[in-house]
Formats: sequence, structure tokens, C-alpha cells
Amino acid sequence: MNLQKVNRREFLKATGMTAGGLVMGVTVPMSLHAEEGETGFHPKVFIQIAENGDTTLYCGRAEMGQGISTALPAAVADELEADWSRVTVLQGDGDKKYGSQATGGSRSINEFFIPMRTAGAAMREMLIKAASQSWGIPESDCYAELHFVHNKKNKKKLSYGELSSVAAKLPVPTKPALKSKDQFRYIGKPLTRHDQDEVVVGKRTYGIDTKIPGLKYAAITHVPVYGGKLKSVDKTGALKMKGVVDVVEVERIKSPFSSLGGVAVVADNTWTAQQALKKLKIEWDLGEHKGYDSKTYLQDLIKNVESPAEKIFSRGDVDKGLEEAATRHSASYTGGHLSHSPMEPMASLAWVQDDSCEIWASTQNPQQIQQVIAIFLGRKEEDIVVHVTAAGGAFGRKGKCDYVHEAAAISKAVGVPVQLTWSREEDMRTGYYHSINAQHLEAGLDKDGNISAWLQRAAFPSIGSTFNPSLDRANERDFTRPIAHPYGIANYKLESGHAPAHTRIGWYRAVYDIFYGFATNVFTDELAQKAGIDTLTFLRNIYDNNKDPVLAKSASRCRGVLDLAAKKGSWGKKMPKNHGLGIAVHYSYNSYLAMLVHVETKGDDIKVHRVDCAVDCGLVLNPDIATAQMEGAVVMGLSLSLREDVTFRDGAVVNSNYHDYPVLRHNEMPEVHVHFVDNDESPTGLGEPGVPTFAPAFINAIYAASGKRYRSIPIKPMSV
Amino acid sequence: MINLKINGKEHNLDVEADVPLVWVLRDYLGLNAVKFGCGIAVCGACTVHVDNKPVRSCVVPVGSLKDKQITTLEGVESDIAAKIKKAWLDLQVPQCGYCQPGQIMSVINLLETNPNPDDADIDDAMSGNLCRCGTYLKIREAIHVAAESIK
Repeated sequence: MNLQKVNRREFLKATGMTAGGLVMGVTVPMSLHAEEGETGFHPKVFIQIAENGDTTLYCGRAEMGQGISTALPAAVADELEADWSRVTVLQGDGDKKYGSQATGGSRSINEFFIPMRTAGAAMREMLIKAASQSWGIPESDCYAELHFVHNKKNKKKLSYGELSSVAAKLPVPTKPALKSKDQFRYIGKPLTRHDQDEVVVGKRTYGIDTKIPGLKYAAITHVPVYGGKLKSVDKTGALKMKGVVDVVEVERIKSPFSSLGGVAVVADNTWTAQQALKKLKIEWDLGEHKGYDSKTYLQDLIKNVESPAEKIFSRGDVDKGLEEAATRHSASYTGGHLSHSPMEPMASLAWVQDDSCEIWASTQNPQQIQQVIAIFLGRKEEDIVVHVTAAGGAFGRKGKCDYVHEAAAISKAVGVPVQLTWSREEDMRTGYYHSINAQHLEAGLDKDGNISAWLQRAAFPSIGSTFNPSLDRANERDFTRPIAHPYGIANYKLESGHAPAHTRIGWYRAVYDIFYGFATNVFTDELAQKAGIDTLTFLRNIYDNNKDPVLAKSASRCRGVLDLAAKKGSWGKKMPKNHGLGIAVHYSYNSYLAMLVHVETKGDDIKVHRVDCAVDCGLVLNPDIATAQMEGAVVMGLSLSLREDVTFRDGAVVNSNYHDYPVLRHNEMPEVHVHFVDNDESPTGLGEPGVPTFAPAFINAIYAASGKRYRSIPIKPMSV
Repeated sequence: MINLKINGKEHNLDVEADVPLVWVLRDYLGLNAVKFGCGIAVCGACTVHVDNKPVRSCVVPVGSLKDKQITTLEGVESDIAAKIKKAWLDLQVPQCGYCQPGQIMSVINLLETNPNPDDADIDDAMSGNLCRCGTYLKIREAIHVAAESIK
């Protein structure tokens, strides 16, 4: 990381705010997003203590409900010994000066934690030094506490505001002392989120809410099939409607994040625009994917994993291991496409003028908007101003800016600011879907019931296909997780089956880990039954059998969460008839998760009574937010285990709204207990890792309760 | 011209009678607490009160609201509503927050009609309000806390 004072001019340029007091800029090295050829000093986060003591963080990462705008400032405030009530957070606009602003992969906490603390500690030391100079005493006679520097000798104190300008003239300490864990004031404590007050009075502004004078409202209908395009449109009926301003054709451009292509109506209100769409007479050229049928396709994927496929990774000799095994078992598992379906549908406000372009959007990636709009308008990226609003849910969907491109295209065509709001139906049918998937697992057990060989074949359309449509199977990168998982299995092989994409594939909360976690944990439960060994013992053995010193810690953390979940959920206790417990463990996004699920079955009725989540995400920054993330993961996990299933027929999505893409409701919510492993590991992300363990623990619990083994999720798909 | 009584104020608006209330509140009056979510009354994000009863404003044409009292989250003033908001903040219920205005409008009606709801009552009253972030447990707890504080 790099830490530097920021002068008045730089600060004004970067934040649009007046510098005063002490301002620090922090650059953070991004392991996954190192900007190539980046030179000079580009702060990603600014921290200001103004002369009145007000402390402000200017932060580039997107808040979409996961509490990042609380967790990171808390790390600064703790080391700074700031008074939390004096700290505010401002969301930065889209700009390269923040470095990568892409929010996803549960990376924010990971990358920012130590740099944020270091910045806070450095500022604290500067404030202490400023006070010691003013009193003419050694720094060791001063200490900082809650926005004041105190004089140990005479109880005098100076406020941070009073000291800020003097501190700003001092050099930045190169190695400020960080607090030890027991000294934390905010880190690891439930802390009030800064952004809640406005929510309960309805004043929080999302992309869909932004208004500027003179704006018109737009609705859009998209080409129903990926890769299709508009053949013709008769606009007459729509244009005759009262309140309709214009009809605009939006074309796909050369970017995976551009509009899929469609026709938009601009009107005096959103409803009129939506109704006018129905009066358009449109002919589409549906293109090469018009035959896509996801049910048939899934059968193809199953065939592709039940025969030899392309080798991705192997260690030992799987064929020999399988041949020599005392017992063998194999099974195939599947999952369907999923839609993010955030409660706020895709929406954006754009105003394109001859010499300017201003965008307001709920987005996980403002810089991508700059790139795409710059391509569309043939302008420079820095000339596209992107204001990041609160996101009404995202789950990965708002990391793709097709809807923003559309708002800009429509505004350019009609010459006024345009607020584009997708209908729920357009949101459902024009997604970047979670990969439909099939996996085949085959394993050999030795005479003691240990796994001696493991073959795992997966076939699913890769996210890479959205960028490179010729990619017709998942590649090594897509297998990162099973390659890295610390199973102690000597003979281990991974293969990738043929799976060309027929729609846009994208990141959905927890991404491929959903199906990797599902298949591996259901399969190990089956293997444990086959071996006649208790599933918890069987899983522990797999990790204990890992003798690779590099993976020892990872294996032991997997075992740690397993043991914690088992203990808290009373694994092994006698269950009433038709009740069962299931357990699963997964390692993803640098965090370790185990879930234990208690279900009751009555015929096809399945009720989840209780979920115990054991979490090892290193140091827990805010247990309240971390718990909320786990509860959210259980909701999403149960939802996708039961019913979430996007179906394609004749190339197009058949589902249309929450009635035929049902997501979990209040009445199905189980009791959830979240338990954190107490250790000193660095904090890791939590937005995603909770999702993958739910489905397999749930499926295993159903088996324990009823003897019925499900191998496909969702288990209760709607027939649409 | 349509006449609407919203949050105690009268509004005369030049809008067609078939336009659903949600769009008039949002696009004409800037009352953005009411959210668009589904357009077919299955998600609850657009919940407002009409004559003190919760309705899904995405399926209520403004032409049907003559002489009715419309209340949005911006206009709720009761003691019960204040207690609910306090419970929401004390328990830090929201994640992204988008569905919460609709959730709160449903809860206000629940506690006005049933001051001491059990979990089954909560399921009945609240299952029409979706939350994709998964704040259901916190909502349930906050409803119990609010109910307790109203006693």
C-alpha cells in the first residue's frame, strides 16, 4: 500500500470537496486487479479530518446491502481512535482515481483491511505528535482517545479538529503501530450502520429514484434471444398514444456489457412507456440460439459428463485408484440457470449532451460504465461522469451495465435526460444467468472407507463465453475451486465437458461454488453411507488425510468449521421420525463455511427448522453485519434449492416474474444460528461464501429424514 | 384531471385514470419511498395505505381512488409507526433497504390491527413482502420488539 498526504488541489480534483485539516490518501495494491502500467500516486480512499473535527471517508466501493461502507470506515476509525458518531462515508463517483471499483468476489474486506487500519494509525500518530509539540512534551506523555489527544500529566486535551491543520504539516509515519486485537474499539463489535436512518423513512436514493429537471421516462423491450437483432418495428400505434415522446431503437455494440438490443419508448411516465411497448409491432431476427431449450440442453450436459471429457487437473493415478478400490460409487448432479432478480430492477438515469454525459446508476462497477459509454459515444472515458447511487440489491447483476448503455443511447436519441426502468419481466428475461450445470462424480473407497480415488467431471457454460463466444467448455480457471480444495485424496482428477453457451452467462452470488459445493458435499454424504461411516467422521477423515504441508492449514480450517457446526447443531443426536440433519463444508473466497441443517419431511412437504452456520472468515469485523450476510446466504441457498430455475424454450426465457420465478418468502424462513471461529487470521469476505453450503446440507438432511436422495436442484421447480 | 388525497394533501394531476398509483407517486410527486418491484402485486415493494389498509400500488389505478386517503411512508406519523422505525434501527434490519419501506407499511397495518402478533400472524401479514437480501429473521424480531414497546 501507499499512504500520502493530499494537498488542497489534488483533493478538490479528486472529491470535489474543499480540503482543510488533515487529508490522507490511501492506495491499495489489488492482488486480482493490479492495474497494468499504473504509475504515480492514485489514492483509492481519502480520509479527511476537518478543522471542526468532522471525519469523512471517500470510498470507491459499491454498497449494495452488504455493509462495506461500515466495515471499512470502522477499521480506520478504530486505529484513528475516532468518535464513530463523527465519522461519515461518502460514496465516490466512477473514476480511475479510486483504482478498481469493481465490487464482487467478496474482495473488499480482504484488500482494504490492513491499508485502512494503517492509514488510521498513521493519522493518530500525527495528531499525537502535533499535540506533543504544542504542549512541548514527549509523545509518550500523550495518548489519543475518541477524537481527542490527552496529556497524561495534567488532564489537558486537544481535539482532533484543533490539531488537524498542525498534524497536516508533519511527515507521514512509515510504520505506524497498529492496535492489538484486545485494544479494538469498533472492529469485531456490532456497530451502527451509517446508512440505515434514511432507509426507514424512505429517503434512500437508488438508481431508480434519481430525478433531474426535464427528464422523461423510458421502458424497453429486448430481443428475446441472445445474439438476435431487430428486423423491423412499426412504431405507429405507440407514437399515437397520449404522453408518448418517441420510440428509440437500441443496438448492441461490441462489448459484453452492452445492451442485448431492443426497442424503447420514451414517455411522460414509466407506465405510459410500458403500455406503449405493447403497441409496437416488432419483428426480430432471432439468430443462432433460437433453438435453445434448457431442459434438453441439461440432458446433453449429463451425457457429456458421463463419458470421458477434457482433462483439467490431476494428481496421482485416478484410473488405477478406481480399479484397485474396495468399493466404488458414482453419481451425477445438476442445477439450472438462476436469475439474480434483485428487488430493484435494472434502472439508470442518463443525460447525454453534445459536450457532456452524466449517468446515475446502481452499479457494482462504475468504471465499466465509463468504458462502455465511451465506446458507444466515441468519447474519452474520463468525459463520462458516473454517479454511483445505492443499489437495491445486485448479487452480481449490477456488475454488468447493459441497462446503463441503454439509458445513454435513449437520452442521446431524444436529447433530454432519460430515466430508464426495466419491467420485472425484462429483468427476468434479459439477464446474465448463473450457469446451468451437470457434474459426474466417481470415487473409490479403500477397505477402511477412505477415499482412494476421485474423478469429477463438470460441464457448464463458462462466464468466459460472454466475452469469447467460441469458448465451448469451462477452462482451468473455472475449476480453480476444486483444484484448490484441501481434500486429502491421493488420486484426484478433474475434467471439463462440452458446454457451449446459448445465453449470456454471468456472476451470480457465489458463482460456480454453488454447484461445486452442492455436488461434492452430496457425493461425500453418499460415500459415507456407502462406507457405513458417519458423515461427519467421513468428512473429517478426508481433511485429516491431507498430508500436504501447503494445504495443512486450509484442511484444518475446513475441519474446524465442520466441528463447530456439528457441535452447535448437535450432530449425532437422536432425531424424531421424519426429522433429519445434514452437514456440508466449503471453502471459497478465502473463507471457510460449514452448515448443519435440520429438516422435517411430510411426503413432499419439507420444512427447514434450523440452520447452524459455522464461519471462519478470520477476524470478524462486525459480527452483526457478518451474521446478516449469513442469514441472507441461507435465504438465497434455500430459495435456489427449492424453486429458482430459469427455463429457456425456443431460445428465450419462459419465466417472467416472481410468480413463476419464486424466491423465498417470510413464511419459509428457518431459524438461523451463526457461529464464528475465533482466530487471528486476516479478515476475509462474506458476501458469497455462505451460499454454497446450504443446498448440500439441506439435501443431505432430506435424505436423513426421508431416505429420499435428490441430485438436482431446485427440487421443486415450477413448470413454466 | 385526477384528484388525489395523499399524506393529508390534495393533488390535482393531469394523468390518465388507468395509471397505477405507484407511477403517479414516483414519477409525478417524487414520493420515492414507494418502490417498483414487480408490477403484478407479488413482491410488496410498492405497498402504501389506502384508507389505512395496505395495498399494492402497482395494481391500483389512480382513477379508483376518488375520496380515498392515501398514505405513503413519507406521510406516516403514528406512534406505532415511530416505534416500528425505532425497532428497525435498533436491530439494524435493512441490508440494501429497497424493500424496507414496503415491509414497514405492512408492519404498521399488522400492529394497528393486531398489537400482539405471534409468528404465524407475522407470516400471514408479511409473506407478500419479498426481501431478496434475506432480512426476514431481523424483520420478525423487530416486529416483536416494536409490539413489545407499544404495550
